[in-house]
Amino acid sequence: MKKVINNIRNSKALVMLVWVLGIVVIWEIFAFVVAATKRTPENILPHIWQIIASFFDPKPVANGMSCTQVVLVNAGQTLSRAGQGFLIGTLIGFILAILMKLSRIVEKIAAPYLMLIQLIPILGMAPIILAMTHDIGSSRIIIAAILTFYPVATNTLAGLNSVEKAKYELMYSYAAKKSTIYFKMLIPSCIPYFFTGLKIAAPMAITASILVDTLQGDGGLGCMLSQSLKHAMSIYVFWDIVVFSAVIGVLSCSLMGWIEKLVSPLKRIERKTKKKGAA
Amino acid sequence: MSLTNAYNPKNDVEIAINNVSVVFKDNKGNDVKALDNVDFDIHKGEFISLLGPSGCGKTTLLRTIADLLEPTSGNVRVSGMTPKEIRLMQKFGIVFQSPVLFEWRTVKKNIELPLEIMGYSKKDRSDRADEMLEMVGLTKFANHYPQQLSGGMQQRVGIARAFGIRPEILLMDEPFSALDEFTKEKLHLDLLRIWEKTNKTIVFVTHNIQEAVFLSNRICVLSPHPGRLSAVVDVDLPYPRTTDMRDTPHFGELVSKVRNSFEGGSL
Repeated sequence: MKKVINNIRNSKALVMLVWVLGIVVIWEIFAFVVAATKRTPENILPHIWQIIASFFDPKPVANGMSCTQVVLVNAGQTLSRAGQGFLIGTLIGFILAILMKLSRIVEKIAAPYLMLIQLIPILGMAPIILAMTHDIGSSRIIIAAILTFYPVATNTLAGLNSVEKAKYELMYSYAAKKSTIYFKMLIPSCIPYFFTGLKIAAPMAITASILVDTLQGDGGLGCMLSQSLKHAMSIYVFWDIVVFSAVIGVLSCSLMGWIEKLVSPLKRIERKTKKKGAA
Repeated sequence: MSLTNAYNPKNDVEIAINNVSVVFKDNKGNDVKALDNVDFDIHKGEFISLLGPSGCGKTTLLRTIADLLEPTSGNVRVSGMTPKEIRLMQKFGIVFQSPVLFEWRTVKKNIELPLEIMGYSKKDRSDRADEMLEMVGLTKFANHYPQQLSGGMQQRVGIARAFGIRPEILLMDEPFSALDEFTKEKLHLDLLRIWEKTNKTIVFVTHNIQEAVFLSNRICVLSPHPGRLSAVVDVDLPYPRTTDMRDTPHFGELVSKVRNSFEGGSL
């Protein structure tokens, strides 16, 4: 019996399954309550199978497109802009972290601004950016970049600052140049932290892009989301977008983990030893 | 028993420690004397131990040799030059208490690191690293990552890395203190074998009397508060040293002699 419990405890897949089942059960309990008490339950909480069914329902809901078509067509522009903003934000975040490490003055000047930008609600910042750019596409990119660069910059900087003193002394004893210290020691040691930043930022960039969509009426997941909520089209478009963006958010995060595994052999080793430890 | 001695004192001074004092400020702003007027010479090819309890300044002294710390007064000369000059010439090999390996590099790449910094060609680096791996008996683990190795093996990688650059002087700061007794005794023999082969000067910091006696040909005994040199003990055990020497009466005598040489004998 103890062995069985241990196996369950160690099995990641099982933990995941229990998790998902838990959510499904809670969701369905509420869905049944809502269905029994409200007049339009699908507006509040439809059953999971109703949402799944709506993905496969060929009935057109808007402009002759089915639910799934609406989601996919609009996902393209939202996600591509989110992706671009994410890349730009990543680049800026990484470079900023290096600059902050290189110079105490840059760090002291930049740190309060970083905090400030992070404190402004995205909902307030987005219309300002839109008013400045007059372009929903660039606004999506800019907002996604702003949301991305902060976690990337702070995590990367934490990684750069995590290098222990003895490593510096080792490099010093070899009379290593500053550039060598950065390329051979500091940058490789910040990579795991950098990827932590990416994993946090990726779903945020997508959320931000969807949010910016809602500001204007010309397409994008967020736009469809708000139209569906205003009953301009089937409410299931809303539910489908919620499910779709949740899945994409999770996938974007695991994509970062996958890329990390690809670029750092260390990660592969860690997984392997962990698995061995669990077995 | 062979009486060959790997250490042939030519009496040429390699490291001269001239009246070195180091004063630190503690967190209340008071002066704390870590080293008080330490003055002695280390000869070429010597295996010398800096021995003492914590607070005796042995690591501080090593750091002044390594140019990791500037003496408050007095100076250190290595082959007639300042430690900084020697460091810039990349003639120091350092082994720390922890192995200080780069986790993202394989064992072999870790050994190659200083060679990369010194601008060796790819082939030279690889050849040298292979040679060092063989020397410390880790050839099979060349492509492993540090965290896949035991503590003793990691420390051996650190030693291989330090010897890989063929340093003139090897500075070792309690390299074995975190290891278990069995691993430690094995690494003692390994280190002596490498030293006998390479004939480098080794400055070895330790707080372990037996370790100091077993390894060194000379022991600098340092006493704490303030850190000062209280004795220099010659160890006349012949090289190559073997584990059974640890059980001889002479070994025991040397250990007591060192123990008694601490100032005040209060140990």
